[in-house]
Amino acid sequence: MHSRRVVITGMGAITPLGQSVKELYANQLEGKSGAGPIFRFDGRTFPTNFASQVKDFDLARHIRDAGRFKDSGLNTKFAIAAARQALADANLLDNPKVDRTTLGVYLGSGEGSHDFPNLTLSMALACPADGFKVDPASFYRHSLRTFGAAHEYEMEMHTTSGHVAAEYDLQGPNYTCQTACAASGQAVGEALELIRRGEAEAVLTGGSHSMIHPFGVTGFNLLTTLSMRNHEPTRASRPFDLNRDGFVLGEGAGMVVLEELEHAKKRGATIYAELVGYGTTADAYRVTDSHPEGRGAIACIKWALKDAGLKPTDIDYVNAHGTSTQVNDRAETIAIKDVFGEYAYKTPISSSKSMLGHLICAAGVVELITCVETIRNGVMVPTINYETPDPDCDLDYIPNRAREKKVDRALSNSFGFGGQNVSLIVSRFAG
Amino acid sequence: MAVRRVVFTGLGVLTPVGSDPDAYFAALCNRTSGVRRLAFADPSALACQVGGELPEFKPNSVIANKEHRKGFKMMARTVQMGLVAATLAFRDAKLEVGQIDPERAGVEFGAGMIASELDDLGRAARVSLTSPDGPVSLGVWGAQGLKDVPPLWMLKYLPNMPSCHVSITLDLRGPSNTITASDAASLLALGEAYRILQRNVADVFVVGGTESKMNPLSQTRHNLFQSLSRRTDDPTRAHRPFDRDRDGSVLGEAAGGFVLEELEHAKKRSAHIYAELTGYACGFDRSHDGVMMAKVIRTALQRAGARADEVDHVNAQGLATIKSDRWEAKAIHDVFGPKTPVWAIKGNIGSAGAAAGAVELAGSILALTRGEMPPTLNCENRDPECPIQVHTDGVRPTNKPYAVKLNFTDKGQVGAVVVKRWEG
Repeated sequence: MHSRRVVITGMGAITPLGQSVKELYANQLEGKSGAGPIFRFDGRTFPTNFASQVKDFDLARHIRDAGRFKDSGLNTKFAIAAARQALADANLLDNPKVDRTTLGVYLGSGEGSHDFPNLTLSMALACPADGFKVDPASFYRHSLRTFGAAHEYEMEMHTTSGHVAAEYDLQGPNYTCQTACAASGQAVGEALELIRRGEAEAVLTGGSHSMIHPFGVTGFNLLTTLSMRNHEPTRASRPFDLNRDGFVLGEGAGMVVLEELEHAKKRGATIYAELVGYGTTADAYRVTDSHPEGRGAIACIKWALKDAGLKPTDIDYVNAHGTSTQVNDRAETIAIKDVFGEYAYKTPISSSKSMLGHLICAAGVVELITCVETIRNGVMVPTINYETPDPDCDLDYIPNRAREKKVDRALSNSFGFGGQNVSLIVSRFAG
Repeated sequence: MAVRRVVFTGLGVLTPVGSDPDAYFAALCNRTSGVRRLAFADPSALACQVGGELPEFKPNSVIANKEHRKGFKMMARTVQMGLVAATLAFRDAKLEVGQIDPERAGVEFGAGMIASELDDLGRAARVSLTSPDGPVSLGVWGAQGLKDVPPLWMLKYLPNMPSCHVSITLDLRGPSNTITASDAASLLALGEAYRILQRNVADVFVVGGTESKMNPLSQTRHNLFQSLSRRTDDPTRAHRPFDRDRDGSVLGEAAGGFVLEELEHAKKRSAHIYAELTGYACGFDRSHDGVMMAKVIRTALQRAGARADEVDHVNAQGLATIKSDRWEAKAIHDVFGPKTPVWAIKGNIGSAGAAAGAVELAGSILALTRGEMPPTLNCENRDPECPIQVHTDGVRPTNKPYAVKLNFTDKGQVGAVVVKRWEG
């Protein structure tokens, strides 16, 4: 139905559960959790003091002269490392046989993090003691003296996809999108469309993000979206469990190389799977909540199925958005039931976020990679910490233990703040 | 399968020189500058003390619905501006909520980092001071300071909020995306929306760009890393695209919105058509030598089925830094030679980042529609290393059907759009 078919020929991942696709998948099969006390900053007094962090990350282990990126945000550093893995995996690193102007980049990659000590000090010193209105002139004097120009520049969102394109010589279409928690899913979907239309032969796509910094945790804590199970971080993310109380903030990057099928075949690339469906919609409801009846999510999953030319019964496994918030997991369950009907009860569903936490902009692509590995290996990752069934969430969430099943087609959902919905369908490549 | 054609049926602009298409275009024709000494806060400590501020911005005068107005307090100025520009475009297209199929209507905006207002965080910072000179204690912030930050603080500043609030206010339930590619953001957003309309997932799209740097945190940040003009004593002549004596940009704020519509859908409801979007391309100019930028322009022209000599004018980025203008001029010269008229609007309004592409493209659409193109401000002595025909003298008649709009980032992301005069 689509004249140009698109396959996945490379993957890379920097995550709280491993800095390669292999480790990421193996640790999920074992049901490990990436959560622990926050070490990116001293977060001991914050309402939530734990997160799911990438341990022992050192860009120098991934590229030469890593010092070039010393002023970049973690999001950029993660992206550079994951991109290298994916491109090397696809044999597109320094490959002169491929026209570099046909290779694009499409990331959902977030922003860097503010210089918390100097930003807050510049504001505090610009506040009169008897009031709380910040004096801009005074703020300018402090902030201009203390902020680092390179750090401020590297926070800008276009720098990540710019660095990746420059570093790996990818001169085709270059996009960065920000649709909150749906960003990297959206990036993958639109990258798929770029190739279908013939605007690129291959696109490095995915996302990268870290909001594990004082302002990030402040923002999410204030929105009351984070789990507050400070005494048991590894048991905090419990999607679909009755006693879930919010998500666990994660960080990391995932990258895939999408490539036009004939282009991949011609150069003898390894084909991991085929990306066959993409749907995206807006709830158009509220910026604070997803639609309670899953209106946007339902339309989104339907679009992805239609795009792929598939019926719900063709889907063997769903990797849910499954954040572990009360509202999301209920609405997502409603949406799956609405689209799948009775078949919903026969469809195994799991949430990688139970183990990885929520990688925000990077979540969608890391979960898509998990789907690809599921198809390749025939074992579905579990939803850990599932202890008490929620009557509103009554589907098969693959509780606590990985399960073997031949999976030919998997659906991956991503839903973001503001009512942003993305669904992707990946299929075993059948020639 | 027939190619679906896409047309512009609504325009909305908020700029320092005019906040409706007529006023904006008249100001450009009259060589009006919107660049002044910054008024929102005393700029004396800044290296660049001038900028393009909106002289007045009253969202309530556009958004009458009380339910929607309630949302304003959850929106940063950038978000409010985006919502207003989108609403103006929607209205200009004579669309009403409930009149179109919401599932076939999408939204896409270009946006950048939206800086926090200081007063949202100042109180928390102040109570977390450990001594009168600092530092601020993270421990105190986490335990006490944090509670002084407004609960919805984060949602006020997420870059996808312009698109989200537009989707909610105008009930657009189709695709929604936000492109965060700095100065190229709104052209890339427009280009992607165009592709989505072509692939028959939607019939109507509200697209645009919005950015305000008129807040202290943005000013500090951009003064530190951007190349900005030092002509503090001569604001209206500070931003000088392609001029020999240019010394950097001035910061601006703006929002532009369009209704993009599939041609048959527009015809069926007898919509007024401004112009057709006929070509789009993007790429990454890794070497900053203009070669890939020229290739992007050529690809956009080819997709539009237009020859270079059918192009009335090139609407350039004209960032007014030494490096950027030479880079751009080289690419334009490569495609068009030295004679095609080039126009840059930033001399009038400054650099509005993610909004620039939208409001500047609106200028070219109006020029094609009205048959006349305004001059470029402040290019008094063209830089000999910018071998292009910058149009500077008065209003010139447009005499060819196409205009090309070009934007790019300092990293190398390039977008080019080709629009065609509508002849029915």
